[in-house]
Amino acid sequence: MQLFLDGIFLGSIYALFAIGFTLVFGILDRLNLAHAAVFTAGALVGIEIVTVFGVPIWLLIPIVLVIGAILGIAIERIAFRPLAGRHDAHFAGLISSIAFGAIILSLLQALYGADTRRFPADAFPTTRVEIFGATVSLLQVVILIISVSLMVVLTWLVAKSKLGRGMRTIAENPHAAAVLGLNVGRISSTTFALSSALGAVAGVLFTLNVNAASLGVGHAVELKALAVIIVGGMGSLPGALVGGLILGLAEVLAVNYIGSSWRDMVAFGLLFLILILRPQGLFGARKTREV
Amino acid sequence: MIAEYSSLITLIALTAILAYSFYAVLIAGQLSLAQVGLASLAAFTSALVVPSEPLFGFIPPLVIGIVFGMFVGAFAAFILGLPVIRLRGVFLAIATLAFGEMVRIFLINQTWTNGAQGLSFAKLVGPGVAWIALIVVAYWFWRLSGSRLGRAFAAIREDELAATTMGIDVPRYRMASFVIAGAVAGLYGVLLAHFSRFADPNEFSFTAAVDGLVTAVVGGVTLFIGPVLGSAFLSLLPEVQRAIGIDAGWIRPTISGVLLLVVILFLPGGLSGLIPVRKSAKRLNVDPSFQPTLPALPAVGSELVSLSGLGKSYGGVHAVQSVDLTVNAGEVLGLIGPNGAGKTTLVNMVTGLTPPTTGTGNVLGVPLTASTKAHRLAQAGVARTFQQIKLFNRLSALENVLVGGYRITQDTLLRRLFFLPSARRLEREAVAMASAQLVRVGLGEKAANAAGDLSYGDQRRLEIARALASHPSLLVLDEPAAGMNHVEAASLSELIRSLAADGIAVLVIEHNVRMMLATCDRIMVLNFGEIIAFGEPSEIARDPRVLEAYLGSAGSDEDVEAASVLASETLAHVVDDRAAEHPEHDGAAAADDATTPEENR
Repeated sequence: MQLFLDGIFLGSIYALFAIGFTLVFGILDRLNLAHAAVFTAGALVGIEIVTVFGVPIWLLIPIVLVIGAILGIAIERIAFRPLAGRHDAHFAGLISSIAFGAIILSLLQALYGADTRRFPADAFPTTRVEIFGATVSLLQVVILIISVSLMVVLTWLVAKSKLGRGMRTIAENPHAAAVLGLNVGRISSTTFALSSALGAVAGVLFTLNVNAASLGVGHAVELKALAVIIVGGMGSLPGALVGGLILGLAEVLAVNYIGSSWRDMVAFGLLFLILILRPQGLFGARKTREV
Repeated sequence: MIAEYSSLITLIALTAILAYSFYAVLIAGQLSLAQVGLASLAAFTSALVVPSEPLFGFIPPLVIGIVFGMFVGAFAAFILGLPVIRLRGVFLAIATLAFGEMVRIFLINQTWTNGAQGLSFAKLVGPGVAWIALIVVAYWFWRLSGSRLGRAFAAIREDELAATTMGIDVPRYRMASFVIAGAVAGLYGVLLAHFSRFADPNEFSFTAAVDGLVTAVVGGVTLFIGPVLGSAFLSLLPEVQRAIGIDAGWIRPTISGVLLLVVILFLPGGLSGLIPVRKSAKRLNVDPSFQPTLPALPAVGSELVSLSGLGKSYGGVHAVQSVDLTVNAGEVLGLIGPNGAGKTTLVNMVTGLTPPTTGTGNVLGVPLTASTKAHRLAQAGVARTFQQIKLFNRLSALENVLVGGYRITQDTLLRRLFFLPSARRLEREAVAMASAQLVRVGLGEKAANAAGDLSYGDQRRLEIARALASHPSLLVLDEPAAGMNHVEAASLSELIRSLAADGIAVLVIEHNVRMMLATCDRIMVLNFGEIIAFGEPSEIARDPRVLEAYLGSAGSDEDVEAASVLASETLAHVVDDRAAEHPEHDGAAAADDATTPEENR
């Protein structure tokens, strides 16, 4: 039971990261590799705000959401929008987002140095609860609740709201969307802002959970998140949640039964298998266009 | 001076070799992040076989390591390629990334690699060896770029489907680019290990893979020299910063990031896009003495296509039902019918793009079954154009036609590597054949223009030239006159007649009924997937069922009836004109005013 819950909590953080990732991919068909840098920025800036201003965690989350959103808009404007319409937008978008991520990371290094940083010891209550004979911390429960509710809200947003309809129209055909009078640029910006806001919050929650953040923290999670969105299905929000939980569980079980040195093999083995057996992922429905 | 920078000079060469490994897949339109994983497999396994003394007293240990490492890289790439080669774009990138990480974790957990402690290697590589290796690799890619293999890669990168219909076996070529990239990655791994004298599996990480990709993309894939430029740029950047004293902590990565962003955003072709290129392949060669003699086409009148009961249904929808048809060499067979009648589905079956669900067929000796591959039919002598134009947009018009000649040209890479005179001769012949086709469709002036920049009508003509370049026995044209005016359509009609006179069987779909009546020997009319009429143009023009299909049910409405009578007269007029050996635009003023029934709809 303890293993199961640990897996779920680990997975919910992967899911939170992956939801932001998959949102951009599903709507704009672009992989934003600066997402890891936003994650790191959320963590380090969050630590700074709490340490310097003594802001409580409950207030920190909305602040970090805004910071993430601003970063997201900057990423879209600078690294992606200039590439629109270029034949190699796919490759170029990967590279430009890597470059933008590197710039964010180097600026963070300038601000906070390269050392590992932590939240103050009393930043979050360390209450622990017993459920079904297993111990869980209040924090883990909060992370799980935040992940699930963000997923539900986002799914609703994409499926039902006007913004969501705009997003899906652009996903189908950006040119036609522009002809129909949709403001493609603004909807893309909004998508990036949402995605990055989630990425930044994921950074804060992740850091609270392991209580350490360094410049490289985003990279490790980024690779896992790639596995998550493939397992769940590219662009599928519920897929990202379920994929995250599956991966979290699989990793915890692998560490327990096979050994920690093989832990990462599970993520990539799972990813590889899914890609070969069911490339569209568990929840994905990728359309292919022919003649 | 040299000694001071010797390790930098070596690293530039090694990084460039890694970038070539990415370049090899990028030129075929693929993105693989497995390259450093393959390199580390090659490096660590080479430690098992590289002897400390020369083998047989004269083969240097490094040569054994390189040969072995390249083989390991190529073989591992082949094994990896078997399951992942059908993935595309980002999916391929992530699958290969996963493979790279799995290799890393596997190697860390092995005792023979010494795990995360790392392994020591003999110092066998210095600047000289590294640069010789780089020059050999760069030379190979230089000679590749103008060869038939190189053109096939470019065609696959631009449009896989069109490449298939040129006779290119796309999965095999994608695999070939994978295996080549694997061999280059293996070379890189072995050289790097024997240069740095120490390697641990964690050095061959995701970050290293991304660095390699960045080097290749910054250098650009439009020119073979790209990876060298990318490597020099990215390796020298920190040195320059250090020399002018702005390398404190965070400044260096910031400047690197900004520069990388600038290169990507403002130099679409990468650094190699800055180099002006003179391409001899872009020049027309209309000297008839270079035209090779091509194998004869099948005798006029011989049966090339025979379909019996051929049909295709999607779920419960019968797109095409039970078509019986023979097409003979030297005839023009027209296929008309309202939109959605199943015309394109039928020609897709004949060209192998759509597997039939019922019936049998034989095209140029190739049976049509569920497993018939389009490139097999293309190699047998089928060429086609598409309703939605599918050109290789970034290649020049002449290069497009050269790719079209894939079927009748020989691969020249090996000959080009050794500068054999026959390579030159074969290339000249290929250009001469392509030039002749371009001139034939009237695009001789525009040979050097990028296909994507041509006007719509010119793109249609270029597609025809590309299809003709394969010296086909059967030519399939899917709405070739769409978007053309009367004059252009008339000259297209003449072109089609002249092709038939050469002995080519032409199967043409077209909505311009007047042009079809004037051009075709026989016309098949499809509606709702069924043949509703089939015969000579004069019969078709007077067939009441055809008029009904085009104008709705006659008789229920007086206007429709009047229109159908008028249309019938017009069409008959066109056919009579043709019978009187007059091209349709001559004296057909009445027809011009009335326009064709199809245009009235």
